[in-house]
Amino acid sequence: MRGYILRRVAACVATLLFVSVLVFLVVRVLPGDPALVILGPESSREAADRLREAMGLNRPLVVQYAEWLGGAARGDLGRSIQYDVPVGRLIVSRLPVTLPLTALAAAFMLLGAVPLGVFAATRHRRAGDYAAMIFSQLGISIPQFWSGLLLILLFSVHLGWVSAGGFDGWAAGLWPGIRALLLPAVALGFFQTAVLVRATRSAVLDVLREDYVRTARAKGVAEPCVVGKHTLRNAMIPIVTVAGIQLGQLIAGSIILESVFALPGLGRLALGAITARDLPVVQGVSLFVASTIVVINFVVDVAYGFLDPRIRYD
Amino acid sequence: MIRRTAVVLLLVALVCGLAAAPSRAQGPSGLVVQVATEPPGLDLTASPASAIAAVVHYNIQECLVKVDQSGKMVPWLAERWHTADNRNYTFFLKRGVRFHSGRELKAADVKYVFERAANPETNHPQRARYENIGSIIVKDDYTLTLTLRELDASFLLTLARQGSVIYPREGAASMKSEPLGTGPFRLGEWVRGDRIVLVRNPDYHVKGLPKLDKVTYRFIPDPNAALAALKAGDVDAAMFGIGPEAVPELQKDARFTVVIGQTTNDVILAMNNGKKPFSDVRVRRAITYALDKKEIVKGAMFGYGTILGSNVDPLNPYYVDVSGMMPHDPAKARKLLAEAGYPGGFEAVLKVAPQYYYTVRTGEVIVSQLAKVGVKVKIEQIEWSQWLSRVWREADYDLTIIGHAEPWDINNYANPKYYFRYDSARFQELFKKSEVTIDDKPRRELYVQMQKMLVEDAPAVWLYVHPRIAVTKKGVTGLWKDLPIPAFDLTEVGWAK
Repeated sequence: MRGYILRRVAACVATLLFVSVLVFLVVRVLPGDPALVILGPESSREAADRLREAMGLNRPLVVQYAEWLGGAARGDLGRSIQYDVPVGRLIVSRLPVTLPLTALAAAFMLLGAVPLGVFAATRHRRAGDYAAMIFSQLGISIPQFWSGLLLILLFSVHLGWVSAGGFDGWAAGLWPGIRALLLPAVALGFFQTAVLVRATRSAVLDVLREDYVRTARAKGVAEPCVVGKHTLRNAMIPIVTVAGIQLGQLIAGSIILESVFALPGLGRLALGAITARDLPVVQGVSLFVASTIVVINFVVDVAYGFLDPRIRYD
Repeated sequence: MIRRTAVVLLLVALVCGLAAAPSRAQGPSGLVVQVATEPPGLDLTASPASAIAAVVHYNIQECLVKVDQSGKMVPWLAERWHTADNRNYTFFLKRGVRFHSGRELKAADVKYVFERAANPETNHPQRARYENIGSIIVKDDYTLTLTLRELDASFLLTLARQGSVIYPREGAASMKSEPLGTGPFRLGEWVRGDRIVLVRNPDYHVKGLPKLDKVTYRFIPDPNAALAALKAGDVDAAMFGIGPEAVPELQKDARFTVVIGQTTNDVILAMNNGKKPFSDVRVRRAITYALDKKEIVKGAMFGYGTILGSNVDPLNPYYVDVSGMMPHDPAKARKLLAEAGYPGGFEAVLKVAPQYYYTVRTGEVIVSQLAKVGVKVKIEQIEWSQWLSRVWREADYDLTIIGHAEPWDINNYANPKYYFRYDSARFQELFKKSEVTIDDKPRRELYVQMQKMLVEDAPAVWLYVHPRIAVTKKGVTGLWKDLPIPAFDLTEVGWAK
């Protein structure tokens, strides 16, 4: 198992290095001149040239990359052009919004999708299965920004239960904080739940057709035990794989929903930085998100090992 | 059974907790304002972004001269000025004006501000406007004389613009995050990504103002979410984010006041005069005749927006209505196209930046109207930074739609390198003359000539003035109806008693 984990760690480091090159290059080849965006249409060419020089954009790419990577390795991601504060501090200041939002959405996803998927599989081609599949189809079809707006219309405008957006911070208390994140988390988790329901259903269905399940039933094992113990654990590999991918997508989805719900999270930071061509922030956030996804994948890989002992000895 | 009861109880608790949500909008001493875009920093001398001006200009930082809501230039930090020859301007500063740091405003501060603006090293976004200041002589703490190299009829207007705000020397380095000024509000806090809070300046130099103790700007980029926040009572006023389509519904709602006024934001269809076929004046006129501006305003702006004929908007004192000089006439458009050698029309690309919602909508109506005279236009949506690089700087475009928000911006047509690539020696001469003609009557005459000449030469099609649409809760008073300068002054805004 230790060798397996070490191999995964080495793969993670290599992936992160590759990601850092990619992030750096993609940000550099984005069309549009950052100096021009900052100075606007009335500025002169000379002013834009001077600003580019001051921002260090005229130096060779390799030098810029090495400097950035060196800084990143020491935890220094540079300074935001528009906010004039360190990028690391900006990212950290947005985590109290994005992490709980993603965690809540993930909780909705897992708590909603796995039971519903198992429910649908055990009622294959019966009313419960069809109802679950209609729910799933709806979830996949409705765009997140639209479901977000519908939730705002119902719970904020008509019922007046929650504010239509914004986040006053955790200082106001745990419950006000969670309340501000509930609607966006539901909207964010809805689509992912819909996808995971399908994956769970088909994985469980596959296992339910196995001989050992029939044997368990023939031996008179109670149905909850057959499904919970014999089926679900064996169906977990594809479910965990899809859930891992979905977690990454939750972070991506937060970009849109944080705009709809006016939440000061990482997604909005990234979006604003791209529009303003705040390169250090775009690079920093991209690297941070990529690292998070790499870590999630690592955890998923390690989880495989626990779920299926055969994988540990590969 | 116990488990089921627990679940029901939990759901009831959740619903009760949700229902107890307090409203976030503020009471009679505060105002929560929705804005679409978070300012990219708060330094007006580093960036021309209108999102910065929306918060800072006239609210945190002020100028020697102010454009009031009727468009008149009024003394502000300078209580008066004097000029005998329109080249030497002596300003007499108001006494007892204090910066937010507590220090009194002195003439040396004003000198520092304008010298810094003209200094190439500081990268002021409108540096060219200050290069004409030849010398600044401080006579005493409250008197200084600015000498211009050349006559400049727009000089006082320049002093009222956002790039001319007065700040203390010691605050220059930190303006991006903590702008200091003399305004009615000072910066309370800026929670990046969420809100900016301004608090009342107790030492404000105008007695009895401001009326509000606190202004909170909340950044809500999505127009539908902005509307929902307004309806849910989370914000007291939406100044910039509500589209014209929402106006009829909000006007019927007794909870809100809808303010619709004029701006200086002229929405135009620019044509690349330096590129075929738009280098031919007949083609440009044909495009103008082919467009039905009434239908454009109706289709894209739900009828809100004043139709334009030239580049001078109705808030400008020299405005003349020339919108009828080249009326909608598709037959004439086809004839002109045939004369120019395009009897079957031609193909062109219209580049628009969807960041400005009206550009795409307007473009869609224009595409259908131009198709009727044989001009097949394809819309290409590009990001704002690309628009700046490709269209504005490189003039790599056929057609584009954009709003020119600056007042008195007819000078753009006198610059052959501007992205219109309109190069008319006669127009340039007229404009140059207007800049050194100080007397009102002859200057007005020159402006009328310039407007008429632009219609004839058709370097662009001036479509409509983007309306000011502000929605507030009932009881909010003192909001400017028209915006003769792109500033959102909250000095006199308050709640009705």
